[in-house]
Amino acid sequence: MSGSDLFTGTLDILILRTLQAAPLHGYAIGRAIRDGSEGVLSVEEGALYPALHRLERRSLLESEWGHTETGRRAKFYRITPVGAEHLASEASRWADYSGAVASILAGGGR
Amino acid sequence: MSGWPFRRVLRPGAVRSADAELREEIELYLDLRTEELVREGHAPAEARRIAEERFGDVARIEAEARREGGRGRREGGRRMMETLRLDVGYALRTFRRNPLFFVVGALTLALAVAGNTAVFSVLDAAVLEALPFPDADRLVFVDGYHLADGEKAIRYASVPEFRDWRERSHTVSRMVAVDPNGLTLSGEGEAERITGELVSRGFFELMGGEAALGRTFTPEEAETPDGAPLVVLSDGLWRRRFGADPAIVGRTIQLNDRSVTVVGVMPPGFRGVSPDVDAWLPLGMMSLVGSADVLDSRGTRFLGVIGRLAPGVDVGRAQDELDAIARDLQAEYPDAHADRWARVQSFREEYLGTTGRLLWILVGAGVLLLLIASANVANLLLVRAHARVRELAVRRAVGADGSRVVGQLFTESLVLAAVGGVLGLGLAWIAIRGIVPSIPTGVLPDFVVPELSVRVFLFSFAVVGLAGLVAGTAPAASGARADLAGALRTGGWGATGRRARAQQGFVVAQVGLALLLLVGAGLLTRSFRAQLAVDPGMDMRGMHVFRVQPPRERYPDAASLRLFTHELVRRLEAVPGVSAVAASSDFPFRGRSSGSYIVRPEDPEHLIRYHRHSVTPGYFEKLGVRVLRGRAIEEQDRADARGVAVVTQALVDRVFPDDPSGVGRTIAIGDPRDPDNLVEIVGVVANVRYRDLTQDMMAEANSPDLFFSMDQIPSRTLEVSFRVRRDLASVLPSVRSAVAGIDPAIPIFAMDSLEHAYRSLTATPRFAAFLMGLFSLLALVLSGVGIYGVLAFSVGQRTPEIALRRALGARAGAVAGSVIASALRLVGLGLVLGGVAAALGSGVLRRFLFGVAPTDPVTFGGVLATMVAVAVVAAALPAWRAARKSPVEALNAE
Repeated sequence: MSGSDLFTGTLDILILRTLQAAPLHGYAIGRAIRDGSEGVLSVEEGALYPALHRLERRSLLESEWGHTETGRRAKFYRITPVGAEHLASEASRWADYSGAVASILAGGGR
Repeated sequence: MSGWPFRRVLRPGAVRSADAELREEIELYLDLRTEELVREGHAPAEARRIAEERFGDVARIEAEARREGGRGRREGGRRMMETLRLDVGYALRTFRRNPLFFVVGALTLALAVAGNTAVFSVLDAAVLEALPFPDADRLVFVDGYHLADGEKAIRYASVPEFRDWRERSHTVSRMVAVDPNGLTLSGEGEAERITGELVSRGFFELMGGEAALGRTFTPEEAETPDGAPLVVLSDGLWRRRFGADPAIVGRTIQLNDRSVTVVGVMPPGFRGVSPDVDAWLPLGMMSLVGSADVLDSRGTRFLGVIGRLAPGVDVGRAQDELDAIARDLQAEYPDAHADRWARVQSFREEYLGTTGRLLWILVGAGVLLLLIASANVANLLLVRAHARVRELAVRRAVGADGSRVVGQLFTESLVLAAVGGVLGLGLAWIAIRGIVPSIPTGVLPDFVVPELSVRVFLFSFAVVGLAGLVAGTAPAASGARADLAGALRTGGWGATGRRARAQQGFVVAQVGLALLLLVGAGLLTRSFRAQLAVDPGMDMRGMHVFRVQPPRERYPDAASLRLFTHELVRRLEAVPGVSAVAASSDFPFRGRSSGSYIVRPEDPEHLIRYHRHSVTPGYFEKLGVRVLRGRAIEEQDRADARGVAVVTQALVDRVFPDDPSGVGRTIAIGDPRDPDNLVEIVGVVANVRYRDLTQDMMAEANSPDLFFSMDQIPSRTLEVSFRVRRDLASVLPSVRSAVAGIDPAIPIFAMDSLEHAYRSLTATPRFAAFLMGLFSLLALVLSGVGIYGVLAFSVGQRTPEIALRRALGARAGAVAGSVIASALRLVGLGLVLGGVAAALGSGVLRRFLFGVAPTDPVTFGGVLATMVAVAVVAAALPAWRAARKSPVEALNAE
């Protein structure tokens, strides 16, 4: 993964972090991300689903069908140990990068 | 990429149900999102609409999720098709929003595709299409020639020579002689001139034809002198003249006033070596068209020889063998075979000559044009990608795979290319119908019919793909690099420098490529003009010519021919509106003239080859050829008078280098010890371009010309020339009836104007210069548009900078100047690169150039000046815009 791809996984990281607390279905994940971060899902909320399926394929998530509080069938996603590990390493990269950006911005770049 | 296979293994049919599950997930999302919006106070219907809008394109997201879930790859084809459908739909929606961009891009590509397709269709028909002969790739011509004349001069063999070749050659397994002749078909209706081929044994087997009706000739029939007055008809003649009579076999018809029996009819599609052959006769029946003596004459060369290469033999090996045979024959017959060689050449080479190579060059030029057009489209796409950089960056940030974005951008350029391709094919279809009939005759063999064949379609398909790839690569690459950080940092203009460099790179490439095309066109045009500037040495205005051949049966000797010729000229001179009537054995630009040797009596060993012509009195004056010294052929040069000749200045220069006058000198047209062979030169005329405009009269390869009195050396083939005051049509009936008044059974044929015959000599260079000119004009316009586009864009981008400079007091002129200067920097680099490439590559045209060097400084200078002028014009509007920017307005725009 090259430097310029760092942001590609932004949504992935947000999903993983959201699922760290508890398994959720798609809508709930989306809701949490919308509440927690400005913008990333503002373009296209549906972008959540390709991301979920990608993460599942990479075995960072696993899923299981269950029921919502209102009794509707829903697919619940849960973070796997691999996912947790991935999240940890990405989080530290993220911190490095945003630190760097912050210092550039503070220095008054272009 | 296996993902998590166990689920699918455990649940057969998982793919389909996975799709259903995905739909269910999304449905749930939309329902819950709608409820959320209702809670926020929206009406239910509106809430649903907003939920769907925020969600995005469901179909596309489903497809992406399937792909990301690893299921796309399993049903590869269907998934790919779906992705493609989505991308194409997306591209079309984008275009609908930017119709101007779309129209300009598609039209640019359409023009380039049309040009490529049209030229390739000609190449396809001429070079790639199978020749209309069975196993044509193994068929060869064996052309006899004299080394001193160059390989172009003579392409015929004598009968004994042909028999020697046939007997001795093993590499050419079947060798056949063909003698094309005009024949008069009479009886049952009007006399008609038909084309016949006298053929040796094995001709029909070689050309792969069996008679559709009756039979062909047996080997004995084919070659026994005067043994078999038989004829095989072509399907065309059989239908046209004999109403497809099934009982034709066994009937007798009149050919050249002799009765011959029809033994067979060939199937449709069978063709001879020459175009439009109506009938085939045995070679042994030479007496039908000439003297039977020629069958035994080693020095009378008139046969075309063809053959089939033996299995495993290539042209080179056959050539080696024929060289050895020619050497043996030179040793055995030192007189008749002095300097005599044979060249083995494939059918394709023989029919196409250098035209095939020219077509490849034109196709190459077409591809250059395509690259220029693609560069323009790439620049358009880059500008647009620019505007969309934020959208792309966000799509990537939310997880869209880089390859998806690249695929999307590529799809756009490919869709554009496809639309351009379809338009281009339509244009090409029109062009092929419009331009191909106007390709002058003589450029291509008669069987070449350009059309939109499967191969042409495939080629166009490849061309469209190439255009799409070239146009899509740079935008896609910039899209793949688009990143949120850059987009946010620069307020939407991410990776500005890189993109600008790509655009400028395209302009440099365009300018360089356009320069290549312009140099090619310039060289060909100047060469063509140089050919037109060659003085043919005669006055062609209103001059027309037709051919007659009095049949041997009724005009058996010199006396009867002489009488016929006198009467013909006399009667034509009486036709109102006709003047300057003359007859000659051959005529400028009208095919073969016979060659022979002369010697100076004092130096009988030194044979000098010349072209022999017989002319009636007044020929030079009537044709407008200047008599330089002495006199022309006149009435006094009768059969019983002293033998005289008029020669061209080139012959004097060659034969009497020590005597610039030549008048009064004697030459021998045979053994100088026989006084009958001695001829006095009574006059010298200016050099006449009889055969070829491009060959120097003094070139070693070109024999000089010598004119005899028609009375002294009569000719059975008569080229009858005359000048008409107004148009030919008004005098033609009288001309015909004048000939019919002498002998109604003699048809006149091959009627043509001298100007037309002259033009067909220049047909190929005209055609090449025209096409290259068209291509380079398009290239010039496209590069101009490309330069304009990049400058207009960069002026737009530099608005703040320009405004600042204006605010700081820069004058409008200085601002405009800086824009034009930046154009010239780009163009200059392109010109340097293109100029170097052109100087290195223009040698490929050498073979097609006459009177101009491949590195002609006038052409290069003119092209450079033109390109600079185009750059300045293209830069003018952006420069003017830049100069007009008021500082305040410009700063506000930011």
